[in-house]
Amino acid sequence: MVELLAQTGLNALYAGSYMSLVAVGLVLIFGVMGVINFAHGELFMLGAYAVVALYADLQMPFILAVALGLIFVGLVGIGMERVMFRPLRDNPLGGLVASIGFLMILQAVAVMGFGVRMEHVPPATQEIIVFSEKVRLPLARLYVIVAAVVFLTALWAFLTKTRFGWALRASAQDPEAAALQGISINQTSRIAMFIGAALAGVAGALTAPLVSVNPHMGHSVIVTAFIVIIVGGIGSLEGAVVAAFAYSVVHTVVTTFWDGVIADIVGLSLMLVVLIVKPTGLFGTADRA
Amino acid sequence: MIIKMLKNGLSRRRFLGSAASVAGVTAVSGVSTRVLAAEKVIKIGFLAPLTGPVAAWGKPGLDGCQIWAEKINAAGGIKLADGDYMVEFIGYDNEYDPAKARTGATKLIREDEVKFVMMLGGDTWPGAQPVADKTGMLFSTLLPSDLAPDTVTLVAPTEVHPIYNVTGVEWLAENKPDLKTAVMCAQDDALGLPSVATYLAAFEAAGIEMIEEPLLFDPATTDFAPVVTKLIADDPQIVCLDTCYSDYVHPIAEQLFQQGYKGQIISCTADFYDQMIAKTSVEFMEGFIFQFPDFDDPALNSEDINFPDPNGFFADYNERYPGEWGAVSWEYASIMDLWKAAAEKAGSAEPDAVLAAMKEGGKGMHAFGIADWWGKDLFGIDNALVGNWPVVVIEGGKARIKAFKSIPEWYAKHGDLLKKHMTAYNQMWDQRG
Amino acid sequence: MPRLAKQGSVVLAFVVLLIALPHGLSFSQQEILVFLTINVLLVTSYRLLTLTGEWSLAHVVIMGVGAYSSALYSKELGIYVPVSMLLGACTAALIAMFLSYPLFRMKGFYFLIGSFAAGEIIRLLWKRFRDPFGGPKGLKKIDPMPDFDIGIWQFDFFEPVSYYYFALVVVGLSLWLMWRIERSPIGLTFHAVHWQDKLAQSVGVDVRAYRTLAFVLASGFSGLSGALLAHYIGTINPNSFDVEMMVFVLTWAIVGGTETFYGPILGCIVLTIFNEVVLRELGFEQMRPFIYGLLMICSVLFLPKGLESVVQKLLLRRANGDKQKEEKADPKESEA
Repeated sequence: MVELLAQTGLNALYAGSYMSLVAVGLVLIFGVMGVINFAHGELFMLGAYAVVALYADLQMPFILAVALGLIFVGLVGIGMERVMFRPLRDNPLGGLVASIGFLMILQAVAVMGFGVRMEHVPPATQEIIVFSEKVRLPLARLYVIVAAVVFLTALWAFLTKTRFGWALRASAQDPEAAALQGISINQTSRIAMFIGAALAGVAGALTAPLVSVNPHMGHSVIVTAFIVIIVGGIGSLEGAVVAAFAYSVVHTVVTTFWDGVIADIVGLSLMLVVLIVKPTGLFGTADRA
Repeated sequence: MIIKMLKNGLSRRRFLGSAASVAGVTAVSGVSTRVLAAEKVIKIGFLAPLTGPVAAWGKPGLDGCQIWAEKINAAGGIKLADGDYMVEFIGYDNEYDPAKARTGATKLIREDEVKFVMMLGGDTWPGAQPVADKTGMLFSTLLPSDLAPDTVTLVAPTEVHPIYNVTGVEWLAENKPDLKTAVMCAQDDALGLPSVATYLAAFEAAGIEMIEEPLLFDPATTDFAPVVTKLIADDPQIVCLDTCYSDYVHPIAEQLFQQGYKGQIISCTADFYDQMIAKTSVEFMEGFIFQFPDFDDPALNSEDINFPDPNGFFADYNERYPGEWGAVSWEYASIMDLWKAAAEKAGSAEPDAVLAAMKEGGKGMHAFGIADWWGKDLFGIDNALVGNWPVVVIEGGKARIKAFKSIPEWYAKHGDLLKKHMTAYNQMWDQRG
Repeated sequence: MPRLAKQGSVVLAFVVLLIALPHGLSFSQQEILVFLTINVLLVTSYRLLTLTGEWSLAHVVIMGVGAYSSALYSKELGIYVPVSMLLGACTAALIAMFLSYPLFRMKGFYFLIGSFAAGEIIRLLWKRFRDPFGGPKGLKKIDPMPDFDIGIWQFDFFEPVSYYYFALVVVGLSLWLMWRIERSPIGLTFHAVHWQDKLAQSVGVDVRAYRTLAFVLASGFSGLSGALLAHYIGTINPNSFDVEMMVFVLTWAIVGGTETFYGPILGCIVLTIFNEVVLRELGFEQMRPFIYGLLMICSVLFLPKGLESVVQKLLLRRANGDKQKEEKADPKESEA
């Protein structure tokens, strides 16, 4: 039993890691730009396919493939900002619809480029850290956990210690005041979009060898991401991280001891309860809705 | 243009195949079968998911049919009483939605005037059924669980999911008699459940004990670590993956490997097993039992096999659609072989004549040998063509057919068990719907 | 020509067109027409909800509630199909009422996501419980509308044309009801709640009650459309009512525009014809989602006020043209 719990804990740690990257990206985009990016799951998928193309097909080193994937998805994010979200800044519902249209395009592109079947990415490494007979952590999963720590710390440093980061936070808090202070909203949107998309992309890239890569893999990711950011608090990055791990623990435990559908119902119910009792979420403060 | 861009940098293997499917043309004839207006043509409908999450069960089948059509047309077409006819497939993407299946059936039958409609079945069959009933059109499905006493024009002539799964278990029990405990996991959907009942019956017949209730997981699961942790918690000797789609078989196998499982694995499918080996190891996958052979297996060249030139078909398919080969790739083509033989025997392509010719004598030429028209007990109607099915085992990194086992023979011995478990899972024909 | 007579003859011509329409279409297009009619009801009921300014993502699931309940009432309880349809609509409205308690404590984006969660939970319950919902496979062999004969037309409800006429009557009636509601004091209050909720509250309007009313009414009509669907195809499963379908409804409403009554209807008709007829005819299977997505993006970028704005501009130009004609006629008269 102890071993089962321990293994479950490790599973949850891994799930929480990549989920927190995705969720933080989503919060950043919503916080700075006020737009709900429905295509966020597909950005995750794009990162996974980047690894398929670069690492599985072109046989580049895994780390390089992940890095290039991160940059690629970040650039796609910038493209999205310029073409869709900037012109639709005053029309949030329009931005939502546009992001839905874009996700359909991304899915179709994945199918056209790679076919309908799932893709296979060779493992990044087959090393496994063995704690005991039943408690093991594959090194590839540890990579994801480490990457989450590294990127989130880097983001925190960026937001609190650099000029750009400060500008981002100011824009998120009060865009008009920020503009008055000379902070270019276009530039902060671009940066937020790059970082947000890149985080989703790198999560996808790192987990590509560990999950089944197919054009529809983004769907469950976005649903979970929404639950997480609501529970964590819509404007709060720390909330997103905490909620991502909390949700992963609950979901993993319920799946292990009951089943996956019940776990989904529990997750959604949790979200509803938070919305009813404390709509701003666990950590939420500023209300951008 | 996207394809050209990508083609320059990336492997030919992948993008050539996709370029063919990008053209996405639904009226599939292929260059050599482009029929002249003056030639006589028979149209066959292909009503299956061609886009969307379930496309992997439809699209590769249409591709296989394309190859089949080219071969047949090059050899002169279908020879009926009033002359030779070329074959043309007309596809309709039903997106695995019963409403679109209905619209598609209407279009194919009443507008395109097809003589035969092939479907994947499952959720979409009940949508198309009223159209089938009204028009008397002959339909085929890959899922015998669609059959019922009132589906008189529906046949399940190739895939006999899930009952073929009993062959794998039977072979396992005969060849590895010291394995006595098992667990099972399956996705909770229309394919998973009847298969669960079948495996349970098969294990019981073989005297193998299920140490846990079957573990049903949500089809949307992407992270299988918790599922597998739970699955192997009590050290089973056999892990059964039921009829998990390859999207699940791969991550589950990988998790089993990573979590240190060292026992026997049995599954219905193992598409792209070479990739599975890459993710685990040759030793880990040694002895993996499943039900779908590679078509370059020499055992398929035996005389009992009714699939013409399986090795050639396999080679053709992999050249045109690299990376897309799976169970579905050949099954629809195999149904076409059966249909063609029946049409030529009847001298006519009319649905009722073909159906009668197909079922004449109670036996038919199934891909894997002569088989019985079967199914009254389980489905309420004898419209499933059931005979032998191969048991495939991975040895030294390659899938090898180890034996062909007879399903009707198994059923004669253990049919009661199967009925018992099917009833328990509400999968008997009189319990459904 | 006197104005009233002119309007009357336009309406008559329109009705005649609707009745004649299916006979000019191919069989499969007739099928699509039936689905289109049902979807018009669905999207118009959605608009009723958005009148109060709230956008919900549970609307299609509530359609499913209507579908599942009507199917179960007729199948399990043997209730006569047209009656079970009405009961299905009422059940949907009831569920909406029940959901309004938790959901209407939220507004805006939170309501959007909360409604999505509520809808998804209901859908997962259908998926999880084989008894009575049929689990992932859903329900099959749902009773069809009983056939009948009215002399000039034999209603064989398998035939799309017959079901289309039936659906046309039901949908037409519902649309008329919704139109009347919008024009009534209740409808005006909906608008007030949307645009001036603080002001409305200050004159004693119970904002939340009106939001709930709009939600319940919209859900009832949505449930009715679900029942119509269930008894036509004869089979439903949880995937028929998933978020993909909801996205389509959302798109029809936004692309069509929600300021006018006909905006969402226009969006629904144009986009459905585009997706099901045009793109399929062109043979682009894999490209269909791509082109559809592109269309969605382009329409919100270049037609932010929706297709209805195009129609409005055309009508305005015509009205101005008429006015100019009248002015030309008048000076001549006064001269003489």
